Amino acid sequence: MNPAATRTEFAAIIDTLAAFGTPLQVLMPVGAAILLALALVPAWQRYLGPAVTGTTILLLLGYALLAWFHWRVWELAVVVSPETGAISGRVAVPLWIESVKLYVWALTVALMAVCIKRHRAELLPGVSVILSILIAGAAVWGKPFTEPLPRFLNQYFGYLAAMDSGNFMIAMNAYQGMEGARQFYYNTIYMWIHPPALFFAYGTFAISFVATVLMIMRRHSSYETTAYRWARLGYLPLTAGMLLGFPWAIIAWQGESWWWSGKVNMSIMLWVLYTAHLHARLYLRRQGMWRWVAALSILSFLVLLLTYLATYFVPGAHSVV
Amino acid sequence: MKTPAHLRQWDYALTVVTVALLGTLGLQSFIGTAYVWWAESVIPGWQISGYPDFMLVMNVIAAPQVIALVIVMGLCVPKRLFDRTALVIVSAAMLGAGVAAWAWTGDAQTGLAVFLALSALIQVAVVALTVAGVRGPSYLTEGRLVKTGSGLLHLGFIAFAYVVVALQDSVFMLPAFWIATFFTIAGTLMAFYADKLAFKKTVRVEVDRSFEAV
Repeated sequence: MNPAATRTEFAAIIDTLAAFGTPLQVLMPVGAAILLALALVPAWQRYLGPAVTGTTILLLLGYALLAWFHWRVWELAVVVSPETGAISGRVAVPLWIESVKLYVWALTVALMAVCIKRHRAELLPGVSVILSILIAGAAVWGKPFTEPLPRFLNQYFGYLAAMDSGNFMIAMNAYQGMEGARQFYYNTIYMWIHPPALFFAYGTFAISFVATVLMIMRRHSSYETTAYRWARLGYLPLTAGMLLGFPWAIIAWQGESWWWSGKVNMSIMLWVLYTAHLHARLYLRRQGMWRWVAALSILSFLVLLLTYLATYFVPGAHSVV
Repeated sequence: MKTPAHLRQWDYALTVVTVALLGTLGLQSFIGTAYVWWAESVIPGWQISGYPDFMLVMNVIAAPQVIALVIVMGLCVPKRLFDRTALVIVSAAMLGAGVAAWAWTGDAQTGLAVFLALSALIQVAVVALTVAGVRGPSYLTEGRLVKTGSGLLHLGFIAFAYVVVALQDSVFMLPAFWIATFFTIAGTLMAFYADKLAFKKTVRVEVDRSFEAV
């Protein structure tokens, strides 16, 4: 292993990502503002369909660039034991963490917006408002092209520096940290199922939320049916994703206090609320029940937002505070 | 076969209780999060000094809610596998067995595990009878696939609760977890998408209506 050469190669791919991605990152808030304007001005709403499709294509192109970057990271991020000099493995950084999180959520909603059939014209304005917020957030806070994977790169560059230090103990400490992260975080199979399943669910719940708002405004059961169809599509990956987090947490956080941690609490709350919502709608035909169903649906989506934000505000396992 | 009106009222009451229990669990989770946030920022070293006690309190508050949920499921899902009175008696007996196990061993976790194991057994019987097409179990929803799905996903939930309560340190943890996950996912799929999964397709007519009237 040649840490200096590896650092140089990393610098080159980070520069390439920035060179191609910066225009897109600048374009993203502009596109978000246009989408927002089209969604809010009734006379312009007929252009929303093509605008959403165009946005989705741009986001997909950007995601292809990010996929290339992650592929190159996998090729370069070799973890070598200072004790034996043997390669332990490469770090496969998933395409939905750190700086890419909001981008993936935006892309998911965009792809789903393209696929909406039932109540399409009525749903698109609301969905576009959510999409524009996500896109702006991904560009302004995520900065996936100009500040990629800050936590991973910080740890990996720290590991390279330790390997270069000539001090065996320092190198060994850094190696153990990096190897632990590789085995139990980045490369674990759960990391490649749990977050994407949840992002898929988040996307469907966003559309279900918009349909529920329409249901409250128009007071008609057909919007509830649409909201339910999107919610049930998301409930399955939400349940699967949360369940799959359990054995992973037991292995990865052995000895750590994670049960009832802030993020876990919020996730349980999210799941029980959507479960309550789906149970309540069984009695939609009862007098006044639609109000409860609508309230539960809205509350569930608000809790979803809080659950996402909990990672950044509430300390504990699962947190980046 | 259409469910009689007085039984539908019973079903409705059970659904309301289920939603209320899920709501209280959600509220507990929210208060727990707020407390973690507050404690971490105000009490130095709380992760080490306060977290174990916090987990204990949260478990103590959550356990009766989970037991109540499982009891409601036991009363709700296999509706009329036994008649209503028998079902209440069976649920009370299961609860009694759990309490007896708790008293015998002095360990609440063992009591909860016994209760969940018995609930799982009942649920397995319900699913088997439903799959076999026996007319005993009746459900809120219609169609055998939907009923089987509903039974399976509730069985998955009970099995997962059992894994959390009793198997976290066991070699059987992962196999039991995968079985619970399979039941939950397969059950959810069947309950939600029975019309698409069924070999014999039926066309469901959706009646759209205004909520103004209700």
